[in-house]
Amino acid sequence: MTDAATATPAMTAPPQRLPWWRRLLRDRAALMALVVLVLIFAAAALAPWLAPYDPYASSRKVMLPPAWAARGSMDFLLGTDPQGRDILSRLLYGTRLTLLIGLSSILVGGLLGSFLGLLAAFYARLDPWIMRLSDVLLSLPAILLGLALVAALGQGIMPVVLALVVSTIPDCARIARGIAMGIMKQEFIEAGRALGLPDRQLFTRYLLRNAISSILIFLSLRFGQLILIAASLSFLGLGARPPVAELGMMAAQGRDFFLFAPHIAVIPSVLILIIVLAANIAGDALRDVLDPRLQT
Amino acid sequence: MPDADPLLEVRDLHVHFHTDAGLFRAVDGISFSVPRGKTLGIVGESGCGKSVTSLAIMRLLAQPPARYAGGDILFEGKSLLKLSEAEMRKLRGGKIGMIFQEPMTSLNPVYTIADQIIESLRAHGMTDRARARARAIEMLKMVGLPSPEKRADDFPHQLSGGQRQRVMIALALANDPQLLIADEPTTALDVTIQAQILALMRDLSARTGASVVLITHDLGVVAETCDEVVVMYAGNVVERAPVASLFEAPQHPYTIGLMAAVPRIDTTSDRLETIPGSVPPPYMLIPGCKFASRCPLADGRCTAERPPLREIAPSHFVACWQAPIEEATR
Repeated sequence: MTDAATATPAMTAPPQRLPWWRRLLRDRAALMALVVLVLIFAAAALAPWLAPYDPYASSRKVMLPPAWAARGSMDFLLGTDPQGRDILSRLLYGTRLTLLIGLSSILVGGLLGSFLGLLAAFYARLDPWIMRLSDVLLSLPAILLGLALVAALGQGIMPVVLALVVSTIPDCARIARGIAMGIMKQEFIEAGRALGLPDRQLFTRYLLRNAISSILIFLSLRFGQLILIAASLSFLGLGARPPVAELGMMAAQGRDFFLFAPHIAVIPSVLILIIVLAANIAGDALRDVLDPRLQT
Repeated sequence: MPDADPLLEVRDLHVHFHTDAGLFRAVDGISFSVPRGKTLGIVGESGCGKSVTSLAIMRLLAQPPARYAGGDILFEGKSLLKLSEAEMRKLRGGKIGMIFQEPMTSLNPVYTIADQIIESLRAHGMTDRARARARAIEMLKMVGLPSPEKRADDFPHQLSGGQRQRVMIALALANDPQLLIADEPTTALDVTIQAQILALMRDLSARTGASVVLITHDLGVVAETCDEVVVMYAGNVVERAPVASLFEAPQHPYTIGLMAAVPRIDTTSDRLETIPGSVPPPYMLIPGCKFASRCPLADGRCTAERPPLREIAPSHFVACWQAPIEEATR
């Protein structure tokens, strides 16, 4: 049988598609962001081996500016803080802790929240229950919840992670539900049901697989936000307990010396900015290559 | 013509929707049957309940808001309404296949077309992957997809609308269904492709012996493909007849109006015929004939009493007090 489509040669010979990772690497901004993220994650993971000094050991050289400044010293590449501790070493350890907080909260909160949101969209019966639960969680501001948890559990990393998880769940649930509702309205869901596919398959292969790229974008954006909130909590003196290094706390400590030694606050702040920016760019680029609907 | 052993029989089916605006009787007591190997057309305008009927047969209506408020659906003599969800799932895509209106959005965008056919085959018992793939390619060849071995690994967005509808047909027929329900299968396609798809469906149903329920608002499609036609209006069957008899001598004023509204190439009239008025609001309870307010022949009895389906010619049923209607009054 002759098909109308054979008349259009473009349709019969589709261009060869590159594998997704090759397409990802062809995007300059994404490549940069990925390289930066990988470097930062590697540096954080290898902090004990990379750090030139003990991050808690003080020296007599206090508030030394970075090596490239006029009074800088090559011994302390990024200078020292008011206690005379090496900023580079503290930065490595601090990044490690900040990333750990961000990652664990996004993993736990993001997974739970997205799953609840997808479930709410898939089973209309569960929707009101899940959404009311999420409303309750949504009414707890992360910072306030962090304060309450610190009051109850004592200062430390766990209450901060808990507060971040609790604040991530409802956001993720709402976003995932919104994305999933849009997908559930599309005809292929009904077509899948008409093929007699079991719910488990419809949920994973029809709903989840179509929603995952949009959810990933949200999670990568949210990852940046969480790092900001985590830093804010430490900035307020809620998270890591001194002398433990954490990026937000380091920025907070530098605040008092901003006029004489701005690098103490600026360096960790810039690093936070770079992490958040790179996460956002990489997330965006991932969507571009993973979503088959955006490809031609 | 009552078939002793129809494949599908719908008996006095009522489907209601419970909405905030009130009770919506989408399907208000319809009956028809589909003999084995035959094609039944269901015609009517948008909102007359034809799509709800097809989804009701597949039990794909979300409950709530939908509710089966009465009647029964028999498939091979067994009530579909009494089956468990697991038994129903076996039928869907197995013995009953379905084709949807929008080929552009009816395929899962993230899997290749072969994957989707294989998935359906595996869900219905063909567990061997290699065999399922061979069968998928055979199906794609059967529906006339060019170079099926190569195109099998394409994603839906790489295919044209007509090609996607071919894939939908391959999907629906993959498990050798006895019944194929096609809900406006050609509405979203342009005219030349429409003809190809209809020819393909006719050809395949003849080859596999499957019965077809073809839902459409296009009388031309009905004339071309169906053996028997059911005309629906506002949730009721107003006329049911073999296709030749219906086109030769339509008996319900609505059917007559519908046919007059189709533009014809052999007349010189500048204006298209219309049916005056509009469909009564779905929430309104109407004791009499639902078409009475728009009917040129309506009298007191029409507004007071709902006309039953009567056989006025062999196998020709009509729900109208005025029938049979003489040629002159048409």
